[in-house]
Amino acid sequence: MSSSLSALPRTHTPGARALRIGLYLMLALFALYYITPLLVLVATAFKTPDEIRTGSLLSLPLAPTLDAWRTAWNQACIGADCRGLAPYFWNSVAIAVPGVLLSTALGALNGFALTKFRFRGANVVFGLMLFGSFLPFQLVLLPMAQTLGFLGMAGTTQGLVLVHVVYGLAFTTLFFRNYYVSLPDELVKAAIIDGAGFVQIFTRIILPMSPPIIVVTVIWQFTQIWNDFLFGASFAAGGAQPITVALNNLVNTTTGVKQYNVDMAGALIAGLPTLIVYVLAGRYFIRGLTAGSVKG
Amino acid sequence: MATLTIDRVRKRYHHQEVLKGIDLDLNDGEFLVLLGPSGCGKSTLLNLIAGLDEITDGEIRIDGRVVNGVHPKDRDIAMVFQSYALYPTMSVARNIGFGLEMRKVPKAEREAAVRKVAALLQIEHLLERKPAQLSGGQRQRVAMGRALVRDPKVFLFDEPLSNLDARLRIDMRTEIKKLHQRLGSTIVYVTHDQIEAMTLATRIAIMKEGVVQQFAPPQEIYERPANMYVAGFVGSPPMNFLPAVVAVEKDRLGLFVKCEAHGAWSDVFLPLPPQVPVQLGNGLAEHVGREVVLGLRPEHITRAGSDLASGQVVVEASVGVLEPTGADTLAYIGLGGQDTVARVKPADAPRTGETASFALDLGSASLFEPKSGARI
Repeated sequence: MSSSLSALPRTHTPGARALRIGLYLMLALFALYYITPLLVLVATAFKTPDEIRTGSLLSLPLAPTLDAWRTAWNQACIGADCRGLAPYFWNSVAIAVPGVLLSTALGALNGFALTKFRFRGANVVFGLMLFGSFLPFQLVLLPMAQTLGFLGMAGTTQGLVLVHVVYGLAFTTLFFRNYYVSLPDELVKAAIIDGAGFVQIFTRIILPMSPPIIVVTVIWQFTQIWNDFLFGASFAAGGAQPITVALNNLVNTTTGVKQYNVDMAGALIAGLPTLIVYVLAGRYFIRGLTAGSVKG
Repeated sequence: MATLTIDRVRKRYHHQEVLKGIDLDLNDGEFLVLLGPSGCGKSTLLNLIAGLDEITDGEIRIDGRVVNGVHPKDRDIAMVFQSYALYPTMSVARNIGFGLEMRKVPKAEREAAVRKVAALLQIEHLLERKPAQLSGGQRQRVAMGRALVRDPKVFLFDEPLSNLDARLRIDMRTEIKKLHQRLGSTIVYVTHDQIEAMTLATRIAIMKEGVVQQFAPPQEIYERPANMYVAGFVGSPPMNFLPAVVAVEKDRLGLFVKCEAHGAWSDVFLPLPPQVPVQLGNGLAEHVGREVVLGLRPEHITRAGSDLASGQVVVEASVGVLEPTGADTLAYIGLGGQDTVARVKPADAPRTGETASFALDLGSASLFEPKSGARI
């Protein structure tokens, strides 16, 4: 549809041309504005401390070096611990991977039960869950801390996984519910008559139709959990902290000369996994969307 | 193959009664069509038979066994859905075989059954495809294959042809009929298309607002509709309803009907056939002097020929609009104080504006009570 729109004949009056040039200028300006911090980040991460002190902020590194990356990864001191960001990176992986998998799986199951196996009060349950997605992080901190303490999971990685699964459930349920509500009910009726039960219908028929929404949910949940700072800072003790908290500590508590290149490299390391997930899963996402649209 | 009995079945949603006591009894191998407008409860009834919804009151028996509370998969039924409901991620072969797979039929046996059904429906070359790669008619066949493969006692069809284009619909209709003749299975078929109902059914149940209006073979529904609702629902163009008054003139029972001829309306006496046919109702005499509704199908109003069949009465009426349909021409004539449709042969078609003579076949007419709409 967009191609047919752009194929429309254009007006070539000087006024229209000026408007178009103005439009592109404006767009270029915005693009520059958004890309500059990233440029500074990347350029600085490859510089030596000397070059940072003498050169300009925006200049490209003269002799690119990976020293800062190495330091940030496994030598930088976070508090008194000088093992770099690596252990915290793996902490984040250990939180995000089960957190994403569990919340996505449960969300899919919820969405299925709420739309295709409707029970009395399904709408109320859904309404309450929806309400959960409007709750700000800060509101659940105290009750969550009490719950974790009660369960004996305070300060552990598993505890943090639980927090993310519970908080994420509202969103994942919403995503899957809205996707499944558009699948025809007759599919489920046909499967019931064919003799399939709840679990079989879910695993054999509904899940195979779900890749597009699974990818959307995984991207969303991974970004949320990986980038989370507040829960990590509140519920994880020392060695169990996620990389976001460690990065903050690295940047804020270094004594002596500020190592900007190490800070920047650390920030990039912390941000890289979400970028990779976007690049990899984004492709599947688009593939899933187009596969769904080829209906006869 | 089996009998199916629907016994005083009621269905209530919250406080609204959707089915108000349905009684239907099907013999082995019957093709029942549930016909009615949307919202009449026909699909609800089908879902109750399938077990996809719970009965509020009454009983459903398949082959004499009460199936209330029996899980759909254990009722030995198969259903074809309006949207076909094919599993989009499975191949055609797996779609057809899924019911057998769920019932743990061994693989070799399953594949043989799928191949047999595919051969019957001529879809063998499609077995490896996904539903998205099929045309509408092919999907329809696969949906039927999925029902046929299990050889169930009762087949349920929920408006299976309404998603097809007109041409394909006629072809598939014929195929369903052939299939029924070949397999002799018991079928319940829901539709709002009266032609489908007439062509397929051994018996039609016409429903309105949760009540069966008439349950009879198609020809009887057409010729002897139980009430004005049925009469108006079946037939295209629909039956004409003419206000009339029962009277006796010269010792003959007849009807006074308003008729427009040469630009003026007048009451015309239409004598009923001498031996008032049974279908016009016994004891019509007691209606003398009362208003009734005369139901006349368009094909029972034709041009008056030289010799009249028994039961035919000639009237003069002015001609309004003419609608040629090819085989027949529909003429709108001034009869009964309104425009009444006559079906005439194109060669006999009168001219617009003229007054012509028409033969009314009162022997095939129906009379209705104006208030209740019931047949007299």
